Amino acid sequence: MINLVVKDLKKNFGGLHVLKGVSFEINGPELIGLIGPNGAGKTTLTNVLDGAIKPNSGTVYLGGNRIDQLQPFEVARHGLGRTFQVTRSFRRMTVLENLMVPALALDQGLSRSEIDDKAMEVLEFLTVEHLRNEYAKSLSGGQQKLLELGRLLMLNPDVIILDEPFAGVHPKLMEIIYKYIERVNNDGTAIILISHQMDSIFSLCKRLLVLNYGDLIADGTPDVVKNDPTVIEAYLGSDDEED
Amino acid sequence: MTFWGVVGAFGTRRAYLKKDMDTSNAGYIGSMIGAATGPVGLIALWLKTPETRKSLLVVPPIAAFALLAISFAFADPSNSCVTNGSFVASQISNGIILGILYGFMALGLTLIYSILGVVSFAHGDFYMIGGMAAYYVTMVWFPGVNPLFGIGFACVSTFILGAVFERIFLTPMYDGRIDRPVEYGILVTFGLAFTLQYFIAATVGSNPVKAKRYFDFPRLHWPSKEDPWLLKTRRGGLELFDTITISNPRFTAAVVCIIVLLMLLYFLHRTWTGKALRAVSLDREAAAITGINPNRMNMLAFALGGMLAALAGALLVQAFSWLPQVGAIPAMRSFVIIVLGGLGSLPGAFVGGIIVGLVESAGTGCIPDPQKAASYIPAYGGIVLLLTLLLRPTGLFGRRFSGGSHGKFG
Amino acid sequence: MSKQQVPLIVGVIIISFLMIFPFVYTANNYPYVMHIMIAGFFYAILTSSWSMLAGYGGQFSFGHMGFTGIGAYTTALFCHYIYLSPEATNICTEFSVGSQYLVIVNPIGITSSTLVQDCLREAMSIWDGSVKVTPMPVWLGIILGIAMGGLFGLLIGLLVLPLRAAYLALFTLGFTEILRAVISSELDITRGQAGLELPKLFENGITIFGRHFDKTDPLPPYFVMLFLLFFCLGVLYWLAQSKFGLFIRALREDQDAAAALGVNTTKYKIMLFVITSMMAAAAGAFFAHYIGIISPNNLMILQMSLVVSMAVIAGIENIFAAAIGAIIIEFTLETLRTSFDVPLIGVEVDMTVWRLVIFGALLMITLRLSRNGIIAPIINYFLRGHVADETVAKRKVSDSSEESA
Repeated sequence: MINLVVKDLKKNFGGLHVLKGVSFEINGPELIGLIGPNGAGKTTLTNVLDGAIKPNSGTVYLGGNRIDQLQPFEVARHGLGRTFQVTRSFRRMTVLENLMVPALALDQGLSRSEIDDKAMEVLEFLTVEHLRNEYAKSLSGGQQKLLELGRLLMLNPDVIILDEPFAGVHPKLMEIIYKYIERVNNDGTAIILISHQMDSIFSLCKRLLVLNYGDLIADGTPDVVKNDPTVIEAYLGSDDEED
Repeated sequence: MTFWGVVGAFGTRRAYLKKDMDTSNAGYIGSMIGAATGPVGLIALWLKTPETRKSLLVVPPIAAFALLAISFAFADPSNSCVTNGSFVASQISNGIILGILYGFMALGLTLIYSILGVVSFAHGDFYMIGGMAAYYVTMVWFPGVNPLFGIGFACVSTFILGAVFERIFLTPMYDGRIDRPVEYGILVTFGLAFTLQYFIAATVGSNPVKAKRYFDFPRLHWPSKEDPWLLKTRRGGLELFDTITISNPRFTAAVVCIIVLLMLLYFLHRTWTGKALRAVSLDREAAAITGINPNRMNMLAFALGGMLAALAGALLVQAFSWLPQVGAIPAMRSFVIIVLGGLGSLPGAFVGGIIVGLVESAGTGCIPDPQKAASYIPAYGGIVLLLTLLLRPTGLFGRRFSGGSHGKFG
Repeated sequence: MSKQQVPLIVGVIIISFLMIFPFVYTANNYPYVMHIMIAGFFYAILTSSWSMLAGYGGQFSFGHMGFTGIGAYTTALFCHYIYLSPEATNICTEFSVGSQYLVIVNPIGITSSTLVQDCLREAMSIWDGSVKVTPMPVWLGIILGIAMGGLFGLLIGLLVLPLRAAYLALFTLGFTEILRAVISSELDITRGQAGLELPKLFENGITIFGRHFDKTDPLPPYFVMLFLLFFCLGVLYWLAQSKFGLFIRALREDQDAAAALGVNTTKYKIMLFVITSMMAAAAGAFFAHYIGIISPNNLMILQMSLVVSMAVIAGIENIFAAAIGAIIIEFTLETLRTSFDVPLIGVEVDMTVWRLVIFGALLMITLRLSRNGIIAPIINYFLRGHVADETVAKRKVSDSSEESA
């Protein structure tokens, strides 16, 4: 049973309080949207969950194991995967090799050919199997994005965090990513989806978390969140400030 | 002292981590306090874990240095660095003069780094070429010509060399055609260094050459001829306060360096091109949006940086004998200086240069065995380099962290 | 014969050529050519291990020559200062080991050979030949050298963990400079620029297959270096094919992304440093025993630039390309040590210097035109030439199946 418990996470950069005590819980393979205006702390939260940044206080438990003081690679092995806002494929490695990295790092006792089969299956699902021996750098931006999603699947994660998967993606690719999210979610993986594209978020997610300047200001179904006065205030208010 | 420094470096980071505080300077502060005060200061530091303040960054290293100097004085009381005040004064002034020259050369390197994100390994060879060019103009091709022509020729030729090299070899770095631009920059300038050094060796030969003194001091005695305690000059040098002697070539070189430095500052802060250069070094993309062509600035920075090294060489060819391999030591020293000052920081390069100059003259003057002292000089630089990189990779004035994405071109 | 088999066949041909070369080559300059070949193998080990470090792992270290020096100096100092004696000298520092005494000779510096004798020589002149002192075995020194190289590799690997790109290059450069300065300054122990003498690899000669080779015969060191090269290449190839190779390439490309996918980047980075430094140290130790003398000049930046340039010209991302390139370049550089007259103008061109100018220019041009060197793309052409066709073919198949569906 998937169980991610985030409790009172705080993170300061110098005097700047980027996370001011964020708490939430994920039980089971939920599909959760994480939204908030720019500078709300979404990426910092991702980095803290992933282990790239250590929180100042607070705890994160994944499946009963405390993960907030672990290194990123240990967090990944505990079953939390993430993508990056800017695509970060291993450019001078082939597509297949890109997928091999997480599979071998996990050391699940699979043989090379089993990993190969699994990788091929993932590539086929992402419709890029014909590129398996090409270097990642020769792929288009969208294909690299798919590759990054494919790498996550090889990790067999319990929870994945997708940081802006729809940014700069054309409609056909968007469809594939939609399908990906749905399938992965149906296979029993919890997904935290960070995006600025509200229509995607509202159509996909059944639960939304709203961050604003380091505070979790709302947590509920899209309908509830949409009508929450603090959320409206945060979005409209911040828009005013930005303009 | 070393021991407590090491303990401080590791322990303090841990203590700060435990209290969830900013650890970026913890190792540095800890090692300095450990070195200066031993366990007493360290325990206090670990218990209190004060916020990183300017005073904490400055005071402990000075204290550590003072302690080192005092313990040295007690360990070797008969050393002339302890007993002879005038010796110390002349060592210090020598150190400062050398430091200005070192800093000047490093300035070129750091200028290149701040714009291109590349550490030029050919810097020492620009220095060598500058000296050779000045030597050939003033001694071989046009003997008796005003040395300014020699210096000018050195500057112009290296400027062109730098610009051409940048156009041909560095341009592919800018448009993402190269996967690892930083390493490419290092390797390709490395190749340039190799080529230049052996090209000069093949054409000039490997006999040392030396230019004549560029100009003679007028004979001055001040305040009076009988008792010139304030200033006395000979053609080849000058003497201040009866104690400090500075040789003519070094003095001239330092003065010219300061003049050029002022011109450079004027250029960087008062002219459009100079401002554009600084803008590109701060934020490439933002500068490009405002209508600056960053690639043009790359060329200018590389050519200008090489020219500064060549100028230093042209000024020093009258002081030292010149060989094709003469650039290796100044190049290494420049690396030390720019890391100490903070990669990409212009004031850092100059302050770093003076510090390194002082450390070197203290090292040569104070270590009892002169032969050992001389051969250990490269090691001082190396140690400064390693310590800076380990404890404070941003250097004295650096703004970018070593793990950052410098050298990335949009 | 498919295209992918070409590199394999060429490899087999090269190996068999190198194996039989010393037996069939009989020209007058046999010792000289053999020496070049041995030096070529030495550089080949260095370039291929450096290409693993820099090309695969992305760690642009300029300290590789430093590790070579550590290996060489460890075994040199060991063989120079430690002896076994059946009797106590009572002057030297010594420990009893079983029935023998381990004698540590006191360092006496350079000027000593005639005026001052070290304690062991003194003792021996008192014994006057009645006691036979044995030097330490060369192989033990070499093993110590390799271990020391690994130890320093571990240290440097730990220290450079947070450093990237230019900072790493400068750090390792500083490390080599310190090492060189210390070795050239501590005259008493290392004899500085005068160099430290080492016993030959096979000081008493060696008998293989009933044929005796004396200590100056180049054949045994030729095969020792050749097998060392084969061994190193074998290990490097195995590593490159295993997950180690995959992970270090991933961390070269993107350290954070690799960590987020579960790769213990710290561990692999340190392992990479330890393994490649041990290889450099091994090459240094063996080569020092072959040459018979070592001085700090071997640690000069020039030496390092040779290794770097060889790797870059040949192809930094392929260990075999780097090794082959090193041998070819070393050979070319040596054969160019001539001078000739340019006809018509009658100027004598001294190629001893010009060859290095050409070499440097070649380095720059190779970098500019082909990022992956000269030899590696050829190998890649055979190994990966089919990929593009395959991709196109597959795309066609998938497109047509989509249309039909």
